[in-house]
Amino acid sequence: MALIDAGASATNRFDPARARGRGTIDILRSFRTAAALGWKMEANWTDPLLFFIYSVAKPLASALILVFMLQVIAGPAGQALRPFVIVGSALWSFVVSGVAGLAWAVLDDRERYRMLKYIYVSPSSFLTILLGRGIARLAVGAMGAGITLLVGVAILGVPFNPGAVSWLLLAIVLALGAITICALGVSMAAVCLQTRQESWDYPEVVVGALFLVVGAVFPLSVLPLPLQVFGLVSPLTWWIAGVRQALFPGGPSSIGGAGSLWQQVSGTLNPNDLQVVLALLLTGAVVTLGSAILFRAGEARAKDRGLIDRTTGS
Amino acid sequence: MAAPVLPVFVGRPTASPQEAANWTPRQVAANNLRSIVGRAYPRVRGLTREPSWLVFQMALPFLTTSSFVFVYRALDAPPAYIGFVVIGGAMTAFWLNVVWMMAAQLYWEKDQGNLELYFAAPMNVMSVLVGMAVGGLVMSSTRAISILVIATFVFGVSFSISQWFLLVAVFILTLAALYGLGMMLASLFVMWGREAFHLTQLMTEPVYFVSGLNFPVGRLGFIGALAIALIPLAVGLDAMRQLAFVSTGPTGTPDPATETLILVAMTAIFIGLARFLLQSMEERARREGRLTVRWR
Amino acid sequence: MSGSIQAPAIDARGITRVYKARPADVTALAGIDLEVAPGEFFGLLGPNGAGKTTLIKILTTLLLPSSGTARIFGFDVATETKKIRRIMNMVAGGEQSGYGILEAREQLWMFSQFYGLGAREGWRRVDELIDAVGLGEQRNQRVSTLSTGQRQKMNFARGLLNDPWVFFLDEPTLGLDVSAARSVRELMIGWRAAVPGRTVLLTTHYMAEADELCERIAIVDRGRILAIGSPAELKRRVQRESIFRLELDRLAGGPASLARLPGVESAVAAAGAAQGTEADPRQTVVVNLVLHDDAALAGVVAALDGLGAHIVALAKSEPSLEDVFVELVGRGFDDEGESGRPDRGADAIEPHEAGQQDPEGSL
Repeated sequence: MALIDAGASATNRFDPARARGRGTIDILRSFRTAAALGWKMEANWTDPLLFFIYSVAKPLASALILVFMLQVIAGPAGQALRPFVIVGSALWSFVVSGVAGLAWAVLDDRERYRMLKYIYVSPSSFLTILLGRGIARLAVGAMGAGITLLVGVAILGVPFNPGAVSWLLLAIVLALGAITICALGVSMAAVCLQTRQESWDYPEVVVGALFLVVGAVFPLSVLPLPLQVFGLVSPLTWWIAGVRQALFPGGPSSIGGAGSLWQQVSGTLNPNDLQVVLALLLTGAVVTLGSAILFRAGEARAKDRGLIDRTTGS
Repeated sequence: MAAPVLPVFVGRPTASPQEAANWTPRQVAANNLRSIVGRAYPRVRGLTREPSWLVFQMALPFLTTSSFVFVYRALDAPPAYIGFVVIGGAMTAFWLNVVWMMAAQLYWEKDQGNLELYFAAPMNVMSVLVGMAVGGLVMSSTRAISILVIATFVFGVSFSISQWFLLVAVFILTLAALYGLGMMLASLFVMWGREAFHLTQLMTEPVYFVSGLNFPVGRLGFIGALAIALIPLAVGLDAMRQLAFVSTGPTGTPDPATETLILVAMTAIFIGLARFLLQSMEERARREGRLTVRWR
Repeated sequence: MSGSIQAPAIDARGITRVYKARPADVTALAGIDLEVAPGEFFGLLGPNGAGKTTLIKILTTLLLPSSGTARIFGFDVATETKKIRRIMNMVAGGEQSGYGILEAREQLWMFSQFYGLGAREGWRRVDELIDAVGLGEQRNQRVSTLSTGQRQKMNFARGLLNDPWVFFLDEPTLGLDVSAARSVRELMIGWRAAVPGRTVLLTTHYMAEADELCERIAIVDRGRILAIGSPAELKRRVQRESIFRLELDRLAGGPASLARLPGVESAVAAAGAAQGTEADPRQTVVVNLVLHDDAALAGVVAALDGLGAHIVALAKSEPSLEDVFVELVGRGFDDEGESGRPDRGADAIEPHEAGQQDPEGSL
């Protein structure tokens, strides 16, 4: 049986053009394939109903925990704060999915499927494939967050006026936020490339720690001033504030408020839409750049120490 | 082909295979105990060889717990509620150990090809699970203690404990019941396959909610009562809160002594069920050929 | 042992195993009867998918048969699993099991505890076995950094921790280089030779390995045993003539002069061998000689003197175990039948039940 290479020249010499690749076309194809793979792995393990329940139960439960905390302490007076905590909690579950998605893709492929080394040595960009794989979980997280908000509006008494929504602001902050969340996920993926199998919960732990300083379920003004600094330099803080301002304009702000660091620094009570977008853009750019550097450094370290194809069970 | 006979290959401790196969109950017990130590060993060794957990399991979880403390502070909640959150945060460590390090672990062992080696060995696989739990306790305890200690100092939590012995007993029984539940889930997860990994996700926030991780479970009414009857985390947490913060008054839940008895019953039932389920799982896995399937 | 009548080390009767699958169930084993005596080195030889691993998993209590019974030293694999697990061990080829973060020594010690050794006794035995299998320099190396051959030696050491009465080896040299495979085979032989009564069941698809190691072999294909016997017996089944490779210093009249001798079926120049001629007597003459039977060789040797030829070398050609397989099944190890089902050759031999005499007398 002869193998005939249709592209070979008459003299069968190696064609260097084969090593060049096709740039954007290759990147898009890799991303699309990885995203399709990620979706299959996320969605095909059970029937659609169970998948739906699984996707919604976690973010909904997170929101309900906070609703009950409000109920326990503030009783009916806490009703006014419900939209604040439900929106923050729903958005946060989206963050968890996105960040964990990329990190778990590394751990999954390295420890369970043992495919990481094959992906790595393929001509596709490793980062592109990672992002594609993570997108599926991000999509599941988005679905969960969306349904939690719907439940909040329909059942838990969150007042929502579609006519008052600032759709432009919402679109901008969602887009910028998604990039930031992916960047954080890339950072966690770089960390998990160095750590052992038992680091499955590291992404959730890191995101859980960030939960403290981003004004997800309480305003930053509650925190001591040094912690408020961390909050103000975190793009997630501005993202959550931006989504809140877009969906519920005029509602309580997580960043500003009387006695907040924002008020002291800017002289205004709450940031306006433009300030939110600019701050998100700036902090997001810094985090994205930092993540890219961290990822490259992590990848180089992993290659140097032979971590890409190791298994580390205990 | 002739090969040199090495001294280590020579010798046999028993005269016949029948003699070698029939162990006394003491030998069986010793084997199972040694297996617990054997399986805990890689967990503990792994901790010393890869110290990233010190940051991720000690420093950062405290920050997560702090978030809920600040929620209560924002609501001007009574100081005891801060204590509730702190104890809840500490117990999360053990729940996560049960879910990730026990329930899902046999499934991962199957993935790695270790499961068949375990079943081909003479020890009871429950010993392996207990070993995993014991090994994971080092990390979980460190996480729990760090949350408890740091949060107590930082947030000024003051405990009012009058029954120390009962508090310690409740804590130990809660762990025993939790690990019994973990063993039960481990066998189910082996059979359910890929769903196991996803089901561990379902067992975090939803269980936190019905267990009253950050608020008194009695406020959940019927759901809370159900949780107390079924989930060791719920009943153990409520009992510990009542014992650690005596001055907070009635919670709408059974008193600590009753909840202790519930924990005793849970421990016995879960461990008994775990034994039954593991045996059934092994039987079924051998019948259907699932002990050695590695492709997902 | 001690004069008592021992049960067979392995006694399988009517073993079938059917896996539920879509679109149709898969029959991995279709009625296996097998008896291995204590102390025997027994081989299961067959291509991929023959059912070897399925049978081993049944015998090592990891899988239940769909029907039939199997016993290990009299203990039932279905109901007396704990007893069997105390007296057997298994090593498979291509294993990736283990905890990467542990050192080789620690990994083995962990398993020593699973097999009931005391803590100190376990370390001692592990250190001895590590040296015995040639992993001394890697004893403190992490499992994740071991090469394939080193990992397999470690697995082999794991298999010997409890000094099993029956040792199951499922393609133990799979994926190993020549040197590593040879090491593993030597270990198998050395271990078994050290104490009488140690039984080994080896599955392999490497003919040479089965030929070299096994006292008896069962050839397996598509879930059935096609033949059982020693390697020599199996080869004798398919070799109906005696074939010799004869190298002579000269041969007047060439190979044709031998073909006319009594008892000679054919005599042809060996392909690929440089043939001497009368014009160039420096090179030898190599002939492939096919005789009716070995007895005819004496007559050929006697006739050579009259032909002015002297023997430089004489070797008998034997069929390989693959030849046996092809004869039984009608295809090679790597070939599928036209219909995807086993092609029965004209002389296909039905598997013999354990203990049954071969009508031709060779068993």
